[in-house]
This record gives sequence, C-alpha cells and structure tokens, in this order.
Amino acid sequence: SPLSPGWLPALQLVRRGSKAVTRHWKAMHFQRQKLMAVTEYLPPRPAVPPSCLPRAEETRQEDDGYARVLRRQVEEAFRENRMIAVCQYNSMPGEDVVMMKHYLRKHNIEVKFFLNEIVRPVLSQSKYKNLLPLFVGRNVLLVSRETKAKEMLRVLKGVPQINLLGACIDDTILSRKGVENFARLPPLEAAQGQTAGALALLPSQTSSLLQRGSVYLTALLDRHIQQLQAAETGSPAEPSPPQTSSE
Amino acid sequence: IPRPFSKSPLCPPGPGGLVVPQAGLKKYPQPPDYSGIVFPEKTKLKFMDKVPSVPKVRREPRRLWDIRGPSREATDFIQGQYGILALGGGYLHWGHFEMIRLTIGRNMDPKTMFAVWRVPAPSKPLTRKSLGHRMGGGKGPIDSYVTAVKCGRLVVEVGGRCEFGEVEPFLTQVAKKLPFPAAAVSREGLEQMRREEEEKRLNNQNPWTFERVVTGNMLGMRRYLSPYDLRLKGRYWGKFFLKHRV
Repeated sequence: SPLSPGWLPALQLVRRGSKAVTRHWKAMHFQRQKLMAVTEYLPPRPAVPPSCLPRAEETRQEDDGYARVLRRQVEEAFRENRMIAVCQYNSMPGEDVVMMKHYLRKHNIEVKFFLNEIVRPVLSQSKYKNLLPLFVGRNVLLVSRETKAKEMLRVLKGVPQINLLGACIDDTILSRKGVENFARLPPLEAAQGQTAGALALLPSQTSSLLQRGSVYLTALLDRHIQQLQAAETGSPAEPSPPQTSSE
Repeated sequence: IPRPFSKSPLCPPGPGGLVVPQAGLKKYPQPPDYSGIVFPEKTKLKFMDKVPSVPKVRREPRRLWDIRGPSREATDFIQGQYGILALGGGYLHWGHFEMIRLTIGRNMDPKTMFAVWRVPAPSKPLTRKSLGHRMGGGKGPIDSYVTAVKCGRLVVEVGGRCEFGEVEPFLTQVAKKLPFPAAAVSREGLEQMRREEEEKRLNNQNPWTFERVVTGNMLGMRRYLSPYDLRLKGRYWGKFFLKHRV
C-alpha cells in the first residue's frame, strides 16, 4: 500500500546517526542547541553587589574557656595594680628576659604577657579605653602595686629591647616623658611633709599676728622709757617707775 | 598587594582585600564524636567476581538505557560517612573493581575504618566479536561482564573513626580512574550539593526553563527532543551529566 502523505518514516530518522547513549559527545540538533542556549541558568544580580555592602559580622565562635580565664586575669591585673606600664617587646635572648624579670621582681614589679586579641575587648569595655592604641603589636605589661617608676626606668635603661610606650599610674595615663617626670618627683613622705609644712605655715603665723599689736605697743613703751631715762639722766630725780603692761 | 592564600575565618581580608596573617590564641577544638558508628564484620572491600557464579548463556541486547539519566538506587549514604559519587553514567568491569578494592585497601586502616560496596558485582554480559572480521556472522560471544552505573549513584562508601581530610586523597585518586566523572563526597558535602542545586533552581532569573519548554511543547521543540527529555529536563545528554544546567 502506498505511504500516506502524513506519515513520517521514523525508521529513516533512527537509522541516521548513532544511538541515544554514546561514548562520544553526540552532536545536538541545532534547534536543541538553541534551546539549551536559551534555557541556561541566569544567576540573580542584586542592584547593589554584595561586595559593596558592609560585611555582615560573622557569627562569633563559642566563648573559649581558656579565653575567659585570660580575660579574667587581665581584669584582675588592671584592678589590683596601681602602676601598669605598657612596653614594646622586641625579641630578647631567654637569659636576658630572666635577668630583667629578676631585677624587676626585686622591686615588686611583675612582667605580664597578654595577647592583644584578649586585652583589646576587655579594655574597650572598661574605663581604660584610651589605652587601646598602645595594645598593637608585640607588647608586655609591667605591673606593680607600688609606684616605683625610678627603679623601673633604671632597669629598663639597661635592657635596650624593651621600650616604654606609656603607663597608667593611679588611674592617670602618662606618656614616656610623664613617667620620667613622675620618677623625678620626691617620694611621697617628703611631698607630704612639704605640703604639711606649707599648710601649717599660715596657722603658725596666727599667734605672732595676734601678738603683733601688743608687742608693738611694748616696744614703743620701752623706747619711750629709754628716752625718758635718757632725759632723766640729765636730771637726777625719777618721778615715776616704768609701767609694763601685761600681755 | 593582596596575598593569594587567605583562609577567611582565620584572617579575613581587610579593606582593599589586604590580608595580614597574625598569630592569635590557640583554640582547642573538641575532638570529633565517633559514638554512633557501627562497623561491619569485614572492614575491607569484598572481592568481586569477574564472572557471576551462574554465567549467562543467552546473549542479551545492549540496553544502553541503564546508563542514561539519574540513578534511582544507592543515591544516599547507608553505613559510611564518605564515598565516591558518580557524576556520569558508565560501565564498571572487573579491572575497575580490582583497582578500587586494592587502592582503598592499601590506603585505609582496617582497624579504624571500613569500606562498603554500593554497586553489585558485574552481571551484565557484554559481547565482542573477534578482531579483524567483517560485519555479519551473528552476535559475538560473551566477552566480559560489567555493572551499569547511572549518574548520582554511590560506588563505594567509607566510614569509621576518620575525617574527610584523611579519606579524600585516596578517594579522589580512585575517582579519577573511573570511566565516568566521579568525586569524593561526605554526607555534609552531598547535602550541600543538593541544597545548592535546589537554590539554583529556585533563584534562576531566566523565565524560560528547559522543563517548561518541553512540557508545553513550545515552538514545537518536541520534534527535536526525545520523549525522555521530559524526564531528564535537559540536565542529561546520553550518559553525560550537565552540571552547570539547572
């Protein structure tokens, strides 16, 4: 029977070319290639690229117990000690470090090493915010309960690898020059004595001030008496004895 | 000048992309928890026969559709934590099985790790005509047996008290030698892959997708496409898997 006009000879199409699954990459019909090109994936393009937006703070990792211990130590160091000096620490041979620590320990000054990444958040939330710029790079803290700046500077002068950056003495921030001036100040007892003396100066003058009038009067009368006596030595009779007023 | 090797969580790039690595506090992470892991009786990979115990007499047609399209079996992890995922279709013969078995056996520690096959032993007979003869003379005799692997199927699974970093090198070494593209994956990696695919599918800005065109027969495209493309949706072409397509 003749082939009807609407019948597509499927066998012809199948015989042509290879099977569906081939080892090589089978060439696609052009229409299919066009369809694949049209239906490709288009990624979303936001109006503002994410690299231009501020970076969202990544979720903080859980608080490490060790970090908490170190933070507590830092807080304790700042609370307990009156003098806290921040120094730049360049690498020193081990024995020099030990010697320096020994000399400082004699004056009751402790050498403490803290990591910047722990110290910075602790300081930023306490009242020592202005010390933050000092805690950049390798540094070491010299802490002490007494304020022996002179001895500390003497020791540090002998160690060239440690440079004093700044100090916080009795909640007062001092620069390097400030620490040197502070070291040159007289000791506390002498300063107290001087202040007491200066304050006691005025009251000590009060008694002499009060007596001044009567003392002046006495002096005037004595002088007068002397003058009279001098006049009376010319004449032998003494009419009246000198009158001395009681103080 | 931005330095090339910057790992984000340790030293995130600063303004301008500059990375200044610094030493910080040493973190002591918890060691991994291997409590829920059950070891099989034999930790090493079983030997696979070249020929099944009952060899087939009747020669079978080629049936290449067992390579085509996505896999329906062995797509998820069962016992192990890491495995080799097939990213294309192909046949594995005895040589491949031996290579896998020996490489994994050589690199793993049978006391702390185990490996499990996720593909059956070769059972599909392949015929081959003798060399140098012309076409005709009937179908050739059975030459070898193979296993068909479709895309998305796991070939082997490895598990035990080990991390992905330990296992990945030799799994990738094996994956490169397979006749189809393959990759070493972990459970999380596989989940991540699937999630990304799904995200891509959802946030595709192109309103025209292959699936939509085929199901609606837009512009009469089904004349140039196969009826299998309704199922394969443009992601598969023969035995190949087109990863970049959505």
